[in-house]
Amino acid sequence: MKKTEIVLILLVAVIIGVIMSLTFNASTYITFAVAEKRMGKEFTVIGELNKEKEIHFEPRLNLLTFYAADSLNNERKVYYHDSKPQDFERSEKITMTGFATDTGFVARTILMKCPSKYNEQQHIDQDSITTSSY
Amino acid sequence: MEYIGEHTLVGNLGQAFISIAFAASLLAAFSFYRASKNEKLKLEWLPLARGAFYTHGLAVIGIIVCMFAMIYGHYFEYQYVWQHSSLDLPTHYMISCFWEGQEGSFLLWIFWNIILGVILIRKTKKWETSVLTIVSIIQTFLVSMVMGVYLLGVKIGTSPFILIRNLEENLGLPWTEMANYLQVVPQFLDGRGLNPLLQNYWMVIHPPILFLGFALTMIPFTYAISALWKKQYAEWVREALPWTYAGIMVLGTGILMGGAWAYEALSFGGFWAWDPVENSSLVPWIILVAAAHLMLIFRARKAALRSTFALTILAFLLIIYSTYLTRSGILGDTSVHAFAGGLDYQLLIYLISFVVVSVALFLVRLKNIPTIEKDEDSSSREFWMFIGSMVLFISAFQITWFTSLPVINKVLGTNMAPPLDAIALYNSWQTPFALIIIFLVGVTQYLSYKKTDLKKFIKQIAVSLILAAVLAVLIASTVQMWHPLYLVLLWATLFAAIANFEYWRKILKGSWNLSGASIAHIGFALVIMGSLLSNANKNVISSNEGFIAKDFPSNENILLEKGDTTAMGNYFVHYKSDTLIGINKTYEVEYFDLQENGSFEYQFTLHPFIQLNEIMGNVAEPATEHFALYDVYTHLTYADVDEHDTTDPYHHESLINIKQGDSVIYNKHFLYLDSLMVNANTNIESSRALDVMLIAKIRMQNMQGEISKTDAIYAVKNNIAQSFPGFLEDGELKYKFLFSEVNPEAGSIQIKAYEHIDNEKPFIVMKAIIFPYINVLWIGMVLMAVGTFIAMMQLFKQSKS
Repeated sequence: MKKTEIVLILLVAVIIGVIMSLTFNASTYITFAVAEKRMGKEFTVIGELNKEKEIHFEPRLNLLTFYAADSLNNERKVYYHDSKPQDFERSEKITMTGFATDTGFVARTILMKCPSKYNEQQHIDQDSITTSSY
Repeated sequence: MEYIGEHTLVGNLGQAFISIAFAASLLAAFSFYRASKNEKLKLEWLPLARGAFYTHGLAVIGIIVCMFAMIYGHYFEYQYVWQHSSLDLPTHYMISCFWEGQEGSFLLWIFWNIILGVILIRKTKKWETSVLTIVSIIQTFLVSMVMGVYLLGVKIGTSPFILIRNLEENLGLPWTEMANYLQVVPQFLDGRGLNPLLQNYWMVIHPPILFLGFALTMIPFTYAISALWKKQYAEWVREALPWTYAGIMVLGTGILMGGAWAYEALSFGGFWAWDPVENSSLVPWIILVAAAHLMLIFRARKAALRSTFALTILAFLLIIYSTYLTRSGILGDTSVHAFAGGLDYQLLIYLISFVVVSVALFLVRLKNIPTIEKDEDSSSREFWMFIGSMVLFISAFQITWFTSLPVINKVLGTNMAPPLDAIALYNSWQTPFALIIIFLVGVTQYLSYKKTDLKKFIKQIAVSLILAAVLAVLIASTVQMWHPLYLVLLWATLFAAIANFEYWRKILKGSWNLSGASIAHIGFALVIMGSLLSNANKNVISSNEGFIAKDFPSNENILLEKGDTTAMGNYFVHYKSDTLIGINKTYEVEYFDLQENGSFEYQFTLHPFIQLNEIMGNVAEPATEHFALYDVYTHLTYADVDEHDTTDPYHHESLINIKQGDSVIYNKHFLYLDSLMVNANTNIESSRALDVMLIAKIRMQNMQGEISKTDAIYAVKNNIAQSFPGFLEDGELKYKFLFSEVNPEAGSIQIKAYEHIDNEKPFIVMKAIIFPYINVLWIGMVLMAVGTFIAMMQLFKQSKS
């Protein structure tokens, strides 16, 4: 066998390794209820921020607490031990990695998605137009 | 109906230029294609083809001029201007406005392609017709992204010249029927402004360089495709080589500049985060580097031509794939800074067309591509360069595969989430790849083509290996980095740097003309070394000792009260003051060292600031103190940006309406207005009161029945009213009462009561990280660009001779 062929076989082997690695390492999007079955183990939950309830940031404690509902609409209190991200109140979907505890979900990282940032920009507020101008 | 105040001329002109640019690129593609058939057709079609391409170029410049005109003129009736700029934006950031949006950044790319196309027309000689056919096709696809026209009910592209009133979602709304909507709708008075993150000088230079890099990858691709198409499999390599190096230099610089921008201006704390957007421009660069080395093998040994074709084509296809990933909106869930969607199907068509045609052409011609039957010697330079290229390929594959998770989900219908600690996973894959590459970078120069004298080889590299090992241990000891894999990688980077320097000094006899490869390799080794040392040993000095769970610090931030001095890492930090300059609220934080005698010695001051932006939210921008051997990087994670009156400690205003002789309950106290005295100094002649003084006699009684009294006075003198508050105390509790107004109809007076609360000291919450040896990374970046530039110049010279 030629050396280049051996190299190519090795190449294919590593590529298969890479492909498999992703499926083994990928986490799954789960619900709070599933996370609560194995408290302390880290999962990724996509939740929706409840803007009706209090979003509280205590800078002295470096703690952000808010309420989020998962895909099955189960709501939990979320504790995030870091500063409040920019524009947090405007976010809709929040991807949280963290673990469940008795009192709520402790998030290590949060990633927000604000569709409004792009899509609602062209929204012209009809009420703001002064009627006297007709 | 005639709309008042609209500047429709510039938009109509721009839209006309877009149509011309599109039509001309189509015509250019067709006529270059005809001209490529044979010499006779070439004579007929080439002038038309060139004319069409130049027309296309001029039309694109027309589009760009129109866009600048409307940005500069603040024509907020245009969606692009309204969304990306504002009246208060400084002129130099108007350039950034131009490419903040999808449309503008496509135009930047199109513009660079035109510049390169014109150079190619002049330089490529016999390749001109086929290369320019492909360039023109690429241009047609790109211009279609900014067309903004409807064809058979399907929207093609988004035009930068669309008026807000013509946007789909606004059609038919009442205000669009008003001739004077620009005057009466308040939103049109000012635009939303440039994203505060982009109001940074890096954002003025990073995008043009990155897009020039994108554009340059097109050239080797067009050569490779032309070669397959015209069945001339060999000559193209020599011509494409210098362009490939140009692409490596510019794209590499663009990517690292993006890293520098992230480090200097963003607050994620580092220069690289394996974010999908970063990855998708890094991957084509890696493949391009691999392709360039394969080209060198082919040039020297006429071997590895098939892989050269494959990787050269792949590099450009990955650029299109990267465009698809970042602009179609598919990354939405996994990336913080992808563009919004809207062009997904069009981009997918662009991607699929190029992939299918290129791959099909490659497979059809594969059998005809010449190969060498003889196997390479395992001591030959070409063998190890080939191995290196394959490792680069795998490294790129791993990054692409992991980044493509959302695409995989979409294709397979799965719902996989990104790995929990993606950065660590990327690092654990890429570190071994980097180790092999770096080691090869060190040794391969010393190997000869065909066969190497191993004894001589070992003698040549032995000194470098030993010297590097000694240095590695010394450097590792300064940061206590004893992880075996990291230590070996550090050793390999040092070895690669030293070995390349020695090669240039001894074997190339210090020739500057031939120094390109050595300098670029040293630069690459330093980039990896700098990334390793600064990332693996980064020290969050603001964090405290508490942990919520394993590897989960409870607090990586430090709280600083104004005027206080707190220990942080080896420093003592002092939050001295804050000032508002323009739109930036800047905080002055001083750093001190504790001396042995207990006194503080001033070191330096950092000014992290918050850019205030009402529309898009405030943005914290970091401040970094650069030292030769490390950086102290800080950014604010919390700061109260509002101004507070710090002089008056009385808060929580309550309004009390009370009649003479009445009582009210205030804060668990009875409050009596015992009497209201009027003291008037009347002018007898006109019987008008000149000076009036009203005195409210206030009595307060607590639960224990203890009583205290005070007077609140309201005075008018020379027509100026003044109020003198009364103060009352009940042990720790202190109150202030202000006589605010008289209500003659009700016969009562209004008193404002306040509680005494000690003023909270203003404070900031800050994160501070020490990045050791990060300058090695920046030096490496410069050396890599310089070295690649020298190599490119040398290759251009050779391709001419």
